[in-house]
Formats: sequence, C-alpha cells, structure tokens
Amino acid sequence: MKSSIAIVADADTVTGFKLGGIKEGYAVETPQEAEKNLENLIKGKQVSIIITTEKIGDEIRDFIDKYTKSSALPMIIEIPDKSGPSDRAVDPMRDLIKRVIGVEMVK
Amino acid sequence: MAQEMIEGINPTRMELLKLKQREKLAVKGYSLLKEKRNALIMEFFNILERVKGSRENVEEKLKEAFEDLTASQIFMGDLAVNKSALSVKESVEVEIDSRSIMGVVVPVVGSTTSPERTVVERGYSFVDTSVKLDEAAKKFEESIALIIELGEIEKTIILLASEIESTKRRVNALEHIIIPRLENTVKYIEMRLEEMERENFVRLKMIKKSMEME
Repeated sequence: MKSSIAIVADADTVTGFKLGGIKEGYAVETPQEAEKNLENLIKGKQVSIIITTEKIGDEIRDFIDKYTKSSALPMIIEIPDKSGPSDRAVDPMRDLIKRVIGVEMVK
Repeated sequence: MAQEMIEGINPTRMELLKLKQREKLAVKGYSLLKEKRNALIMEFFNILERVKGSRENVEEKLKEAFEDLTASQIFMGDLAVNKSALSVKESVEVEIDSRSIMGVVVPVVGSTTSPERTVVERGYSFVDTSVKLDEAAKKFEESIALIIELGEIEKTIILLASEIESTKRRVNALEHIIIPRLENTVKYIEMRLEEMERENFVRLKMIKKSMEME
C-alpha cells in the first residue's frame, strides 16, 4: 500500500520538513488547531505517517492515544522541535518496556 | 491458603464430570497462552535490539538540521526560506505493509523511495538561496528516513507491549485463580460423594443389623 507522510507542527519545523520533501505540512499554533488538522488527516485515510512535535504531543496526549493505541495505522511520530528534546520526567518508551519486562532494560 | 471454590455447585456426579471437562480446557488454554506469551516476549526483545539508540540518532540529526535551517533563515530571511520550501518537490513516499506477530498486526514500512537527492532535483532556484539551505534540506531528508524507521519500531513496541500485558494477565488469572479454583471444587465434590457413599454403607449395615435383631 502506497501512502504519504504529513507533518503537523510549528511553523519552523514545517518549513524544515518541507525542505526535506514532505508536501503536506500544516503549521499550527494552538493544540486545538493541531487536533483539527490531525483529525482531518486521519479521516482522510491517505496519510499513514504523521509527524508532530513532542510539545504538541504532550498537549493532546489523549487525542493521540485514542487513535493510535490500538491500531497499526496511522502512525503518529513525535519528534523534538528546534528547542531540542523536551525533558520528560519519564521516557514513555522506557516506562512501557519496564512495565512489560518487569525489569529496567538499559536502552 | 484459603481453599477457594466456585460458589453454588451441587455435589453430584453430573457436576463433577462437567467440572473436570472445564478444568481440562483451562489447563489446555493455559499452556497455549503461555506459549503465546513467550513468543511475544521473544519478538519484543528482538525489536528492543533495534530501538537502541535510534531515538538518539533522530534527535542528533534533527538538531543539526535545525541549526542549518536557522542559519539559512538568518542569511536569507524567513520569507525567502519559506518560499524555497514551498517549491521543493515531494520526495517521500512510503510503502506500508503489515505483518502479524501472534495475531498482533504491526506495520512494516517498506523501501522509502530514497529521499536523498542532489541539489538540482530539489526544485528551488539557486539564484537567491544560501548554501546553508542546501545543507538544511539534505539533513532534513536524512532525518525523515530515520524518523520513519523510528516510528515503525516504536509503534511495534507499543502494540506488542499492550498485547503482552493482556496475555500476561490472562495467563496469571488462569494459573493463580481459575485453575486452582476448579481443582478445589473437583476435590470438594469428590469428597462429598465419597462421604455420601460411606453414609449409605453404614445405613445399610444398620438396617441389616436391626432386621437380624427382630
């Protein structure tokens, strides 16, 4: 199945990824806007990978979980924006792995 | 340990047979689920090997990319950068497949049409662009490939993890609650039946004795 990639993020990140060759970029300012754009993309079904920033991801965590927890597609990938990786108290991946395996894995 | 049993069961032979059937089924299900859990965990470890460091790679690459982007914005101005970005041709197309690991459908991202291009192929003009813009574009292209791979891996981990959790819970419930409960109930019914047999036996003896007395 062929499909494309979209990006929903702040203006600078969108510009960067457009330079990198992603056509569908939506610059958003508020979490509400981000939600609206994401919803349209997901409903549209043509896009199966959506890149967003960690900041936006943290703000609309519930919304993202609703669409991504149980199904394989779409993938929503969170990346750091230009201010660098956000300092999260717990790395969600690490936390998940620890919960499943039961012991801390050195990542 | 308190001998937990299934409530509201009559100690009859019929119930005993039924319960024994159920116990057999539970044990069978338990061993199947245990195998499933082990297989899932093995897959999980395989994927953990791949996740090592890939997020750090992405973060590193993006940091460089953003540095170059900011530099080109300083040289050329925001508007010019935006303009160039708009004229870049689309480069990324992915082939998405899925495979199933013990019934968990995970995405497999196939050959990403090599996003790395030469300067000419990108599509913006060279007249008023800085070399930093070329650098930034190149780095973003590289990071897109990394991000896609990371996304695939993380998604797989999340899906596998939730399946492992629910399988684990089921295995534990069977092992520690349902099977012991069934065993205890079977034992209880067997004892009751034996007890009833003995009672009957004694009763018959008593009757016989009293008949002889007459």
